[in-house]
Amino acid sequence: MRKFTIPTWCTIGWLGFVIFLAIFGSLLPFRPWEYVYEDSLGVAPFSPGHLLGTDTNGYDLLSSVVNGARLSLFISITAVGIGGFIGAILGITAAYVRGKLDTVMVTLFNVALSVPNLVLALALVSVLATNIDVNNPVPTWRRVVVLTAALTIVLIPILGRIARAATLSWTNREFVVAARSMGMRDRNIIARHIVPNVLPALIAVGFLAIGVVIIAEASLSLLGVGVPDGASWGGMIARGRNDLEYSPHVLYVPLAFLALTVISTNHLGDVLRSSLDRRESKL
Amino acid sequence: MSLLSIKDLSISFDTPRGMLEAVRHADLEVPAGTSVGIVGESGSGKTVMSRAAMGLLQGSNVHRSGTVVFDGHDLTAMTRVGVREYFGTGMAMIFQDPMTALNPVRRIGSQISEGLRVRLGMDKRKAMARSEELLTLVHIPDPGTTLHKFPYQLSGGMRQRVMIAIAIACEPKLLFADEPTTALDVTVQAQILQLLGDLRRDLGMSMVLVTHDLGVVAGNTDIVAVMYAGEIVEQAPTKSLFANMRMPYTEALLKSIPKMDMPSGKRLQVIEGRLPDPTDRPVGCGFAARCMYVQPKCHAEHPPLIHDGDGHLYRCWFPLGKK
Amino acid sequence: MTRVTYLLRRLAQLFIVLLLVTFGVSLLVRLIPVDLAEVLLPVGSQEEQDELRRAIGLDKGVFGYYFQWLGNFVRGDFGSIYYSGGTEAVSARLAAAFPRSFLLMIYTQVVALAIAIPLGVISAYRAGRRTDRLIGNSLFTFSSLPSFAIALTLVIVVGVKLAWLPTLGYAPISDGIWEHLKYMIMPVASLSIGLIAVYTRLLRADMIATLREDYVTMAASKGLSDRRILWRHVFRPSSLTLFTSAALNMGGLIGGAIVIESIFATYGVGFELFAAIQGRQFIALQSLVAIIAIFYVAFNLIVDIGSGFVDPRTRDRRINA
Repeated sequence: MRKFTIPTWCTIGWLGFVIFLAIFGSLLPFRPWEYVYEDSLGVAPFSPGHLLGTDTNGYDLLSSVVNGARLSLFISITAVGIGGFIGAILGITAAYVRGKLDTVMVTLFNVALSVPNLVLALALVSVLATNIDVNNPVPTWRRVVVLTAALTIVLIPILGRIARAATLSWTNREFVVAARSMGMRDRNIIARHIVPNVLPALIAVGFLAIGVVIIAEASLSLLGVGVPDGASWGGMIARGRNDLEYSPHVLYVPLAFLALTVISTNHLGDVLRSSLDRRESKL
Repeated sequence: MSLLSIKDLSISFDTPRGMLEAVRHADLEVPAGTSVGIVGESGSGKTVMSRAAMGLLQGSNVHRSGTVVFDGHDLTAMTRVGVREYFGTGMAMIFQDPMTALNPVRRIGSQISEGLRVRLGMDKRKAMARSEELLTLVHIPDPGTTLHKFPYQLSGGMRQRVMIAIAIACEPKLLFADEPTTALDVTVQAQILQLLGDLRRDLGMSMVLVTHDLGVVAGNTDIVAVMYAGEIVEQAPTKSLFANMRMPYTEALLKSIPKMDMPSGKRLQVIEGRLPDPTDRPVGCGFAARCMYVQPKCHAEHPPLIHDGDGHLYRCWFPLGKK
Repeated sequence: MTRVTYLLRRLAQLFIVLLLVTFGVSLLVRLIPVDLAEVLLPVGSQEEQDELRRAIGLDKGVFGYYFQWLGNFVRGDFGSIYYSGGTEAVSARLAAAFPRSFLLMIYTQVVALAIAIPLGVISAYRAGRRTDRLIGNSLFTFSSLPSFAIALTLVIVVGVKLAWLPTLGYAPISDGIWEHLKYMIMPVASLSIGLIAVYTRLLRADMIATLREDYVTMAASKGLSDRRILWRHVFRPSSLTLFTSAALNMGGLIGGAIVIESIFATYGVGFELFAAIQGRQFIALQSLVAIIAIFYVAFNLIVDIGSGFVDPRTRDRRINA
């Protein structure tokens, strides 16, 4: 285990905590998050029975935050995982095969990237989440799926471009040419030589991407097209906006959770990336 | 009275792999009006020493001890800003690779005139005019147009001349030339060395010529110091050095230079082995592991610098030549 | 290949990207499993809806629809927004929204660069020491926060609790410079913090690399002061990546500031886009996306041209495609 600094351990600890909440949250001895505490509306944190307080509708913030953790992490990890996987396949293939396929792939990436990420996500969500009968609201689970799908699609060109760039820097190296001259099949070359070298870069970026997706989901919720009913952190923040003046904790609690989580993923992604750079440049 | 007096200079760097001793207890005197050569292979510490002597070595991981006195002033006792006063007008340096040593995004004229304006307070027009004169001095054809060119538009030899022009712009008393010809072809090398010699004569400049090539010091220096593994291992007036070599290392260096009249097919003479690890210097003589004449004492004890009567210094238990 | 040829080639590539983006959006619009005419004109009669269909081009296939839209777009007709009470030309809304987004973007970039450049230079100069670490760590923490987090915090602290600045709305410059700026300060602050962190880091990395170059030692040997060396010798070659990044960000800022625009109600292009999506105004959506994409592409081109000026080495170099 390399020497990690204190801040790094803190971030690992926080992320572990959040993941724990997400997975085991429903096993904790709390009432479900939708339960309305009618006699404690908008109480501040550290009040009896409500560690993080409640919002003006009576929802306990602690339970809500735990539920939000599950949703936010699910959406972000799935989107980054699937998006990264598809993006990596596309990017690595394009960089390895080169020629027309590469040109087409790069153009497609550029097309998707010429629209700001949030705009693209917004457009996709609206299109995919529209019901045939416009007046029927869309069920929550479908919204979550659509949201995840939209964010996955947005991530594919971003991660694909990185995978392509990383692959390009490796395919020109002599050991690849050597492997090919020994008659090794492309499939094997990619699996044994390219992927292990591209993967670390992707993982480092993946951490950063998780942070980005969590923020994106929150942004979409702030705009009203995220997960409805304030189930996710973004949704809680959106709801908290209304209580700004008298119960700012309703805003701060989910905001703090979100901020700490994003700072943690960013920091870890950064640490991974610099340890990668060190590995690469060891002269 | 020496122009430059280096006494007991030691330079070490703090690296992740340990303390790297680049220069160890080096003494060097540069009398006014002379040209002193420092010869050594890569990693011998010669470049570090010349930069440290001038005061260009910076960094929080540099440890320096010893003194460097220039023209009566103790540079090692001054702050960085204090030492800077002597740059350009007192001391100047030209570097090995003129492509990387010239600022790629600035025109030649502006690079030469910068020193004139900042150090001598000249105004722009005078500085440009003087820059053109300097270019003529270093034998650059068509100096007027060259003033407006960028470094990448010139050939290697021309760039080196430009660098010399920049260095002598404020007429320094001492010029450090760090491998000035290494990056050039042989024919251009001779021209540059000739140029340096002429400039020295005309401007009354002293020079410290750092190189790995014994051939370069042969005709262009008055005194030669040989460095190995961070130490001065031999020093003598140039003629004496070649006539009466004491260090096995110097002899090996000379032998390894390929000659035109060698029979073809004969193997080049190389010095076997490698430099000792600078983070882990050996106890005895640094060259012991590679020396043809090595004896047990060489591994065991570190040889001190011995002064011969006639200005010849050497660091060897069993020197060559007359005992 | 000469420089001009290279630029023309780039232009063609970017043009193709534009066409594909706009076509993609059209495709997306046509793929919605809804009857568009019904959505836009729910209270209209059958004839009115058919009329609308023909006007927009919904009666044709995807390609026909796209070309009709394209034909209108290049002539300046960006379509209309359909209310229950009537229509409004998109170009009119754009004319109002665009200057707001544009100014917001300019202010943000100026502020971000003005702060990031000195910070980057100082960090590089004092690399590894306390100042550098302090700057790096605080920037990192601040930049990890999403811009809306900063925005909301500012709204609470500055707008509500301290009541120094108005929290919503927009005042054009014609209302008075100070009035105008009052509304812009918080949005600009929210947007620029993330950029400051990125720019500082970029500049710092490039400058540290440049500081190792031989010509910096040479400049030092001429007796120049540190400050002179830093700014006149090191900054210029190191600033290329910084300005490239800034230019590329310009494109993104036009449409990407949606959340900030909606929090502070400065109804710019991003917000119009959002409103179009919400209101199912798909025609407006197509035109707005096209505008944003054009901007992004235009700035890419400017970056390419600009690189030639900042670093003359790229000016004459033969371009390897």
